Amino acid sequence: MSERANKFSTTGLLADRKVTQLMAFTAFTFLVFSYFSSDIFFTPENFLSMAYQVPEIAILSIAVMLSMLTGGIDLSIVGISNASALIASYIMTQKMSEEGAISNSWILIACLLGILMGLLCGAINSILIAILNVTPILATLATMTLFNGIAIGITNGVSVSGLPEQFMRIGNGTLFGVPSPFVLMLVIAGFVGYLINRTGLGLKVFLIGTNRKAAQYSVMGDRKVIAWTYVISGLLSALAGLIIASRTSAASPDFGNSYILLAIVIVVLGGVNPMGGFGTVTGVVLATIVLQMVSSGFNALRFSQFFYLAAQGGVLVLVMILNTVLEKRRINKSINKSLGS
Amino acid sequence: MNIKKLLRRNETVLIFAIIIFSLVIGSKSPEFFTLANLFDILRSSFVQLLFALGVLIVIISGGIDVSFPIVGIFSGYTAVIIMQKLELNPESLLIPIVLAVLIGIALGGFNAIAIAGFGIPTLITTLGTAGIFRGVMLSFIGASFISDIPIGLDKFSTSDLIKFESDAGTLVRLHILVIPVTIITVLVALLLSRTIFGRSVYALGGGAEPTRRLGISVKRTQAKIYMLVGGLSGLAGILYVSLQRKANPYDLAGSELDVIAAVVLGGASIMGGYGTVFGTVLGVLFINMIKNNLVLLGVSSSWQRAAVGVLLVIGITIQAISENRKNKRQKSASDSEVA
Repeated sequence: MSERANKFSTTGLLADRKVTQLMAFTAFTFLVFSYFSSDIFFTPENFLSMAYQVPEIAILSIAVMLSMLTGGIDLSIVGISNASALIASYIMTQKMSEEGAISNSWILIACLLGILMGLLCGAINSILIAILNVTPILATLATMTLFNGIAIGITNGVSVSGLPEQFMRIGNGTLFGVPSPFVLMLVIAGFVGYLINRTGLGLKVFLIGTNRKAAQYSVMGDRKVIAWTYVISGLLSALAGLIIASRTSAASPDFGNSYILLAIVIVVLGGVNPMGGFGTVTGVVLATIVLQMVSSGFNALRFSQFFYLAAQGGVLVLVMILNTVLEKRRINKSINKSLGS
Repeated sequence: MNIKKLLRRNETVLIFAIIIFSLVIGSKSPEFFTLANLFDILRSSFVQLLFALGVLIVIISGGIDVSFPIVGIFSGYTAVIIMQKLELNPESLLIPIVLAVLIGIALGGFNAIAIAGFGIPTLITTLGTAGIFRGVMLSFIGASFISDIPIGLDKFSTSDLIKFESDAGTLVRLHILVIPVTIITVLVALLLSRTIFGRSVYALGGGAEPTRRLGISVKRTQAKIYMLVGGLSGLAGILYVSLQRKANPYDLAGSELDVIAAVVLGGASIMGGYGTVFGTVLGVLFINMIKNNLVLLGVSSSWQRAAVGVLLVIGITIQAISENRKNKRQKSASDSEVA
């Protein structure tokens, strides 16, 4: 019992250190851009627009985080979110009258079917990865092509636009003065945080990510746990897709292709170990906010979007290099310490 | 090798798949079995095959590379820009090719530093560098489409080895690239099977630690692999520019999946340690045959991507099932030994 408590306090400490580092980094980015672009960046309008843009990418990143915690990866998130958004949007536009009127129940049905699509896609990933033992990278690379292909096939490659007004209110409205997508994101982050920190499933996720073989020998049903993470990842992707559709009033098969790199950058920056076994929801949400600030800041300073792309890649590689160098130093230090004593 | 083993090989399965698919399409539309169509499939396969050979080497070594299309277009586009800026002899074909290959090797070196030098996972590294390369190219080197590529490159796109008019009146052309691409393919096959480097690539795919214990430098092997892949991608990129007769910096991005699909369908194991050049050639031909001829089967072009996805899912499923079976067999064999 004491050992278990001990383990939790050390991971808690480690989590705190990463989160503290990130908070400092967030504050630093905020100050830099506020200083250089006080007229555009440091305005309430800009923060409001960031609050509308952060949720979708944060939710996608949380989905990637879940799969990464088990030592896998989910590259099909964007494929799933687009497919779900397209199904929901298609149903809505079909059931809409000429004047754009539609009953709330049809919107609800459309959203539920979109979510169902996400669950279904997640289940396909689960079957490939957990049951057939396909490597997660390869399985999700294949399903990403498949889901994207299905979306293109259904819509002939064109986007569905002109969604009903009630639906758009979800993505553009406010709840208690806070943008509603942001509230949704907090609810989802809270749910996933609870799931991975307070439930048996979450504990197993971390154990599998730390050592799959050990998890296998302890008969905890590792396949079932992995299957669940990809289904939940599909669900989260679908929700992100619906939020995107409702914010932009459109769904398209090639929307947000750049989000895959971005989501992985965020997850790694947020302190999740790509080999599995460590990560926090707080870290991921903070990292999303940092990158959104960088994106808005670059925009305000009139850097091109491709410069932002290069910066994303640079951040990813640099953070990984920093992590490995620091990790090595830490290990050497602890070895020296134990040799000294 | 006994027949049962031969039948179980991925290459054999793929050959059967190609034959069956040809018969199905051929029965629906006789246009399929013409020399013109065969040469068309070949022509659309050259660039992809060069990329695929690079990817094959990486996959055998147990890694994965998603940056190669960006490395390719970066090299091809930048080589054209350098040619124009420095006013190098526009008639020359060799100069742009050498330039592109060198740029490709340099970009591959970048991957090599991150992967071999710092030990960062290959997928993460190449995702990151793909972003860096694309961003740097489009924000610093150029973002506009170049239609007047140097004459040498432009002329090369219409250099045909065989060219005649068929009885039906269609022009049948076999591009001269078939010779160099074949030579490179054979060279890569020899490199993988006959050299110490090639065998260390397979060893590395089997496991890094055992490779180290064999006395092979893992880092040096990895560095060579990623630079070699960079060079191959650079070559593919400049040939792509030449065949398209334009240098568009937005091209090729997103084509990594088709190439990886071809290599995996060709039987290379994504876990590393297994893969053949012959299988990769068949995989590339198969994918291109399907993409070029789905329309003849009455499948509309918007479903092409889904078709590639389905094929890929089927391919990896078959691979995974046979892998699982093999593991089970080995396990039961070792269990019975213990008993």
